[in-house]
Amino acid sequence: MLVKGLGAFFILLASMLWSNLQIARLRARVRQLQEFRLALRLLAAEVGYTVTPLPRAFRQVADMLESREVKEFFTAVCRNLRDADSAGAEAAWMKAAAEQRKDFDLTERDWAVLTRTAAGLGGLGREDQLKQFTAVEEQLTSFSRDAEERYARGEKMWRYLGVLSGTAMVILLL
Amino acid sequence: MEEKKWQAQILPLLPGYLRECLSGLPEQVAEKLEEIRLRAGQPLILQAGSEEKFAGPRGIAESPRDAYRVTVKDLHDILLVMTDFSLYARDEELRRGYLSLPGGHRAGFAGRVIGEGGEVRLLREISGIAIRIAREIKGAAEPLLPHVYCFQEKRVRHTLLVSAPQAGKTTMVRDLARLLSDGDPGRGRPGCKVGIVDERSEIAGCYRGEPQLDVGMRSDVLDGCPKALGMMMLVRSMSPQVVVTDELGRAEDARAVEEVINTGASVLATAHGQNVRELIRRPSLAYLLRNNFFERLIVLSRRQGPGTVEKVYAGEFMQKMLFTEEEPDAG
Repeated sequence: MLVKGLGAFFILLASMLWSNLQIARLRARVRQLQEFRLALRLLAAEVGYTVTPLPRAFRQVADMLESREVKEFFTAVCRNLRDADSAGAEAAWMKAAAEQRKDFDLTERDWAVLTRTAAGLGGLGREDQLKQFTAVEEQLTSFSRDAEERYARGEKMWRYLGVLSGTAMVILLL
Repeated sequence: MEEKKWQAQILPLLPGYLRECLSGLPEQVAEKLEEIRLRAGQPLILQAGSEEKFAGPRGIAESPRDAYRVTVKDLHDILLVMTDFSLYARDEELRRGYLSLPGGHRAGFAGRVIGEGGEVRLLREISGIAIRIAREIKGAAEPLLPHVYCFQEKRVRHTLLVSAPQAGKTTMVRDLARLLSDGDPGRGRPGCKVGIVDERSEIAGCYRGEPQLDVGMRSDVLDGCPKALGMMMLVRSMSPQVVVTDELGRAEDARAVEEVINTGASVLATAHGQNVRELIRRPSLAYLLRNNFFERLIVLSRRQGPGTVEKVYAGEFMQKMLFTEEEPDAG
């Protein structure tokens, strides 16, 4: 009886942990998208108001961010740009994205938009560069809203699903 | 081979292959190098003094055929590195066709101009780059000091330096600014507050706002500012005793010079021209000369190397020449 009880407890625990993990991933996506939006706004300010060159702008934006992943991403772009063999800002952004993608909880669609940020990065005039940042940020805003809704819906669903699937498994197995 | 100062400053801005070509130059070429000319699809050309050389992977090439052929990608990469991968950050300079580089050097650009409302909006698809090596020759203007500085009245005379391009006008005006700014109290010449309006970043060679060339300890530089506007800004904000500027020519420049002189500051300026006759053909300069605004006019040439002083005219000689059509002897 004790063994069965322990088994049931562990099954329930595992299914709840799994559901919490799904919830955490939904929450992380919201946070990361919001942080990327903030980072792009900061980058636009560096480009638009202080006309800071990109290597320094990326460094300064990284210093202002809180999210570990996005901070690390911007630091990596800055590092790639300062590399003696750097092939430009677009390549530096793409390299950082390829290396760090696994640390994020973003979807393919999110990355497709973020990749658009890199197109022509540093090779455009100030106004065109700012327009590009604004376009990407607007799209991220819409994705971020969608991610929040998914999180609001998904949180309850995953929590119930965790408890219910654990309970169902306990009933089936025991 | 010892690396020259310009090599340490300019080579990191070039792609690897070009870097190799320029790091293996013979001492005498590296020493005298004035310009590096890069044109898409054309051989790499160097201007060392009055000589033109071709450069290849083994240093100097015998013929254009052996020289390194510059590619469009080379030019694109150079532009990216020179702008710190951020064209927007140097847009203003690029619109004027050049970038100032660390060390006071300059890169001029040719390419496709995208215009808007009669003005240059962007310069893209670069097809040529001319890198001009800045040479600071401290003391070059010492022989001009007795003409420019009036020891009796302890003030700087309104002076115009005239020469054809690349004859050392800017080098001379820079050194004069330094000499006047630092002063020499031991010889009865105290330092002056000098205001420099450096529209094309050629006098002080500012890079990120900081003068890269020595213009003296009492000099204030207004970098990248239109001359006429800058001269008045300096007079109002920095109360200079001497206002220095390069390449007068437009009507508004002449008006600004007149204004500055009326405020009591001295003007030290340069203008393009082989001789005084050429200057008079330009209405704004003719106005300044006919009204005797300049007390000294110094004509320079390259005859014995850049900065050769051909003639120094005093105010009354200029007047005589302007009204009699005869070129008087130098004063």
